Amino acid sequence: MSDQNVSLPLSPVDQAGWRSLISAQVGTWLLIAVALCLPLVVAGSWVFALGICFANAIGVLSVSVLVRYGGEVSIGHTFFSAVGAYTVAILDTRFGIPLWLSVPPALALGVVAGILFAWPSRRLSGIYLAVSTLALALAVPEIINNADGLTGGYEGLYVSEPLVPGVKMSLQRYYAALAVLLAVTYGLARLRRSRQGLALLLSKSHPAAADAFGARQVWARVAVMGISGGIAALCGAMLAFAGSTVSPSGFTFWAAIFLLVGSVVSVYGLTFPRALIGGAFLTLIPQFLSASGAWIPVLYGVALLGVILAGHYLPRLTQAMGRRKGGA
Amino acid sequence: MSDILRDLFPLVWSGMITGCLYALGALGLVMIFKCSRVVNFSHGNVAGFAAFLIYGFSSGVLLELSWGAAVLLTIIAIIAIAFLSYAVVSPLVFESDLTATIATLGIGLIAQGATLLIFGADIVSLDLPVPRFSTAVLGLRITGYDLTVLAVAVVTIGALFFVIDFTKLGIAFRAISENPFAAEVCGLNLRSVHLFAWIVAAILGVVGALLIVPTTFLSVTTVAAFMLQAFAAAVIGGFASLPGALVGGILVGVLMNLFTFYVSPEYSSTFLLGLIMLALNIFPNGILARVEGFRV
Repeated sequence: MSDQNVSLPLSPVDQAGWRSLISAQVGTWLLIAVALCLPLVVAGSWVFALGICFANAIGVLSVSVLVRYGGEVSIGHTFFSAVGAYTVAILDTRFGIPLWLSVPPALALGVVAGILFAWPSRRLSGIYLAVSTLALALAVPEIINNADGLTGGYEGLYVSEPLVPGVKMSLQRYYAALAVLLAVTYGLARLRRSRQGLALLLSKSHPAAADAFGARQVWARVAVMGISGGIAALCGAMLAFAGSTVSPSGFTFWAAIFLLVGSVVSVYGLTFPRALIGGAFLTLIPQFLSASGAWIPVLYGVALLGVILAGHYLPRLTQAMGRRKGGA
Repeated sequence: MSDILRDLFPLVWSGMITGCLYALGALGLVMIFKCSRVVNFSHGNVAGFAAFLIYGFSSGVLLELSWGAAVLLTIIAIIAIAFLSYAVVSPLVFESDLTATIATLGIGLIAQGATLLIFGADIVSLDLPVPRFSTAVLGLRITGYDLTVLAVAVVTIGALFFVIDFTKLGIAFRAISENPFAAEVCGLNLRSVHLFAWIVAAILGVVGALLIVPTTFLSVTTVAAFMLQAFAAAVIGGFASLPGALVGGILVGVLMNLFTFYVSPEYSSTFLLGLIMLALNIFPNGILARVEGFRV
């Protein structure tokens, strides 16, 4: 601690701040426009991969929400995405229920699962939640494989019911995932400005102040996990629809850690472009490295450490540079 | 009735043996957490890598050494790895324990990838050079392996508690766990004590991995999965109590054995999940929280 200097960092409120905010908005709209037009241009396999990428981006968002609003890490979010995915897949294969009817129960189940899971550790530090998510991640494949009467076991389930009859299925898979991703980012942007969102942030950063304002700690912790679980269930639902199959191999322990890696690589961002970065990282790198699978964990680990260390050292470097410039 | 007793006794015994190993893993996690507030998620993967290194050094994949030399070389390598991991994590520790915890996951991923790259995804067997004998005491089959595990665990844990209770380093460790700021004001070097904890934890992990592998086989995932039990043991013990970790380890070992025998061997991770959730609800501060007089 002795090497930290006493001066507080200046708050970045200046005219350039507004300008960069507006240009970021324009960039987001451009990106959305590109995403909307892309299936007209690129090949079919890319449309499929991008659909999965959007679904993964939702999963990345679910982990980032937990970090941002709860100050907690989870390495077990595959549980909630599995809840969403299997809800959609089971309703589809058993009862022929299309996606637009099966997403609401998937979302509800995800929220409930998140709340139930957060309940035991509601009064404890975030470390306990992280450790219990470790157990959660390891339990998921086991549960899916052993409940094979319901989940299809190793073989998995095939989601075939179209959302809008008559439209090409590959386009449906792409646009449904994109639409849900956009809805989630819009919802998160609204949450950031809402009273509830502010209360959650306050109780994360200043617990005592939040208590004084009447925002209860337990409520905040459980609510964040509920929101996060719900978003993760949407991710699973979209993985099931966009990827067309649901099988335990998609919900392994490593998939859970990779979600966190994606969240870190997107610097816990909750906007559309940031989520897309995380999703692309999760989807495209395994595609490029499919011939040499052992490099994937190494690369992910290095990327994780790289982003974290850059986040630690870059502000210091720029500060030091600024000081030198100011001194000269 | 006598049937149940006949089954129960050996189950509890073998559960206690494996429980000692879970305790070894849990003690490492708790040591790191106590002094630096970081949960070391790379623990299992690094220990697994170490087990593979011993296999590689002794079987001719990398080198052809005797078992003892291979273990020694691996321990040196693991100390180097612990040093490196702490070097990566240390700037983050003082800033945010959450970020540092995430960073350990990155280290774990790299260790996992390195294991896959060097040794592949095959299953190998790694045996201990222990005397093969077994006797029956009161209807209990006690093997050389059991006694070895028990002896190693008792000696290691005893040595650890001795160091922490009676040496200068141990006092520094306790002081820093108690109040890092005051300890630093008194002139203690936080980083060197943290490094001590990381190195000791890594060695405990290697010992645990080495002793657990003969009961199954060695693959990329065995040791990482073994560490889930260690995590569960640490949670039951309260995550910040060394005796708690020991009790938690033995409890997890026994309960796991009973569960896999009487209920189902297929849901072991789910059972651990339930156990962790239950423990968090009933003993949020660890199973020994109400017992006074423990200060380790």
